[in-house]
Amino acid sequence: MTVKAFFKSTAFKSLAVLIAIVLAAGALLAICNDLLHISEEERLARSLSKIYGTDVTATEVQLTEEERSYTYGTVNAVYYVQNDGNYLFQTTGKGGYSNGNGKVTLWTVITCTGTREGGDLALTGIEKVVYDSNEGQSFISTLGASFYAAFADRDELVAGGGYFTATEETDDLYNVATGASESSNAACNAVNTALACFRTVLMGGDA
Amino acid sequence: MNASMKKYGKIAYDGLITNNATFKLVLGTCATLGMSTSAVNSFGMGLSVTVVLLLSNVIISLLRNVIPNTVRIPAFVVIIATMVTLLRMVLEKYIPDLYDSMGVFLPLIVVNCVILGRAEAFASKQPVLESAADGIFTGLGLTCALTLIGIIREFLGSGSFFGIRVMDFKIGFFTNAAGAFFVYGICIALFVLITDQIDRAKRVKQARLLRVPAGDAPLPPTDAQTEVK
Repeated sequence: MTVKAFFKSTAFKSLAVLIAIVLAAGALLAICNDLLHISEEERLARSLSKIYGTDVTATEVQLTEEERSYTYGTVNAVYYVQNDGNYLFQTTGKGGYSNGNGKVTLWTVITCTGTREGGDLALTGIEKVVYDSNEGQSFISTLGASFYAAFADRDELVAGGGYFTATEETDDLYNVATGASESSNAACNAVNTALACFRTVLMGGDA
Repeated sequence: MNASMKKYGKIAYDGLITNNATFKLVLGTCATLGMSTSAVNSFGMGLSVTVVLLLSNVIISLLRNVIPNTVRIPAFVVIIATMVTLLRMVLEKYIPDLYDSMGVFLPLIVVNCVILGRAEAFASKQPVLESAADGIFTGLGLTCALTLIGIIREFLGSGSFFGIRVMDFKIGFFTNAAGAFFVYGICIALFVLITDQIDRAKRVKQARLLRVPAGDAPLPPTDAQTEVK
């Protein structure tokens, strides 16, 4: 086949059209990605607005790598909310769907009395748990508002040092959504990570 | 009614009823079962698929004379994947709640059989306006079906309607996969039953008209006529 024949062949035309479509699609997506980019500040403002329903002022609490890592999850960020004196945790819980490798990231508002500086900080309960994102959780939409609200209904147990579980039914610490038990497990681990971080790092005690 | 109106009327009827993607063709079942736990999620999923269907149909129709037959499927997949990625960006930016609730099913729209099916069967052979109409009505047919399943599952599984609590009961079965299959199956059965009844009535009417001598008044139905299939 001559060069001229190759450039006139169907194979070349097919390849050229496919490459042209891919390049045009890539260029369009690159432009849109830039136009529709969401900055970290915008994400934080959006999350705070979703949690509180109004604008609040929050300052980030600095943590070391060691203070962020726990057996069942990691702490992404901790904020001290100046409006009400509570602490806001963004945590990622492990143990979700996808052979236990799936993750669920939640925002947890922990209510407390006292101050960290004064050394009399005490956990009194969970005010609110709000969904943030997930990795590989197909049935995350099964976790409805009632699932997240259940975390805020157990202040007495949480203040007494308890944790949540989605794998075994033990009195009031049980919290699992039907049809999404593994995603529930990851969500419980995310909340437990926030509780563990508050107890060990902010209160300076044992998890 | 002129020919153009008839043509678009047929496209609309096909998309909504005759070739309803969910209840007649049983396409896009993965998203139907996974996203129909609530009416809002179902409606959002349906509209998302409609937007992707419309855009991909229009672009594929525009390029139908340019894309060689040998690479048409990869080309369609690239176009559909681009539209879905674009939709993801727009939803994440402007409707984050819907973006969060759709989870993994949003990128999975790329492999939704309805979209590739309509691209291959219709948009790659028809002009732009017809393809756009097909995309809209096929999408609306799917949206209506998904929303109906979502309403039933949400009402029975959570006792609410579009997120508003209306009854103080829950049947957990309807929120899980088995409940989704059950509701889906019942809906398909009812849809086929109703459309079959309508088709049968139409055929009986046509058969009666064919037997009436020209100029005479229509005759009352006889047993033999009503048995015409």
